[in-house]
Amino acid sequence: MTTAPAEVERPEAEEVVVPDTPWATVVWNDPVNLMSYVTYVFQTYFGYARKKSEKLMLDVHEKGRAIVSSGTREAMERDVEAMHGYGLWATMQKAGD
Amino acid sequence: MGDDAEGGGLRLSTAFRRARGGGVSAAFHQVEIELLRSLVGQLLELVRDEPSSRDPRQAGDPLAAAFGLGDDPSRPTDPVVLRLFPDAYRDDSEAADEFRRFTERGLREAKAGAAAAVLASLAAAGPEPDEPADAGQEKIRLSLDPDEADAWLRTLTDLRLALGTRLGVEEGDDERWKTLPDDDPRSQVHDVYAWLGWVQETLVRALSAGLD
Repeated sequence: MTTAPAEVERPEAEEVVVPDTPWATVVWNDPVNLMSYVTYVFQTYFGYARKKSEKLMLDVHEKGRAIVSSGTREAMERDVEAMHGYGLWATMQKAGD
Repeated sequence: MGDDAEGGGLRLSTAFRRARGGGVSAAFHQVEIELLRSLVGQLLELVRDEPSSRDPRQAGDPLAAAFGLGDDPSRPTDPVVLRLFPDAYRDDSEAADEFRRFTERGLREAKAGAAAAVLASLAAAGPEPDEPADAGQEKIRLSLDPDEADAWLRTLTDLRLALGTRLGVEEGDDERWKTLPDDDPRSQVHDVYAWLGWVQETLVRALSAGLD
């Protein structure tokens, strides 16, 4: 971290309010996890419908990865931690990366 | 991802099915119960093992470590541990380390808790009611409530991740394992790995039937 130069005027509060940068949780394909299990995790943890969960699972399987959720950095940290708890290979990144 | 597992060569158990009261149940042979108990016990030791072995003051270059130049002490070197607790950021090792510091202990406790719940359900399982007492190979009826079933799903996953990583399982490599000679120890481990996949597949299907 660094400190701000002393001479610079403090900006007004409304100028420094930056909208919460959206983040994304990515699940990656792995050779071990069962397709049915990955679908089940998407259904039960995220509450996604079966169709959406199957689509995401197939994206992971066929394209190697899928964005499964997006939101604040804190929310994505919770999702990634939960995915690791289920044994899925998940990472987080800034949305659009 | 793994597909519908074939179950290897040693399927004695019956598939998990939905039971009355929102749970699931399956029958296992005593030998399978013992195998599960042994595997889950080893998993429990693995996830309870604190990452002290990663301390670079005990391994690697002590001088580099003293100046903070060694391998990152917080990142596991065992590929199995790294698979169970993967990096949360791909291109930011600093953020990945920080995430690990904040989450790994809790994840280890959760995985250990699930493994302990599986061991408890194995210990609580009793003989199949309609099985004749002198049946020789005793069948064990295993009934799981929804919380226990969740612990089983997670623990079967962790076991398969550990075994699959050790074996070097890859996508679509079924032929490789079928052509291994029977006396190759990896062949037996892969049979166990495939059997765990079959058990998990039937458990997921039984639980999925209750969704939507």
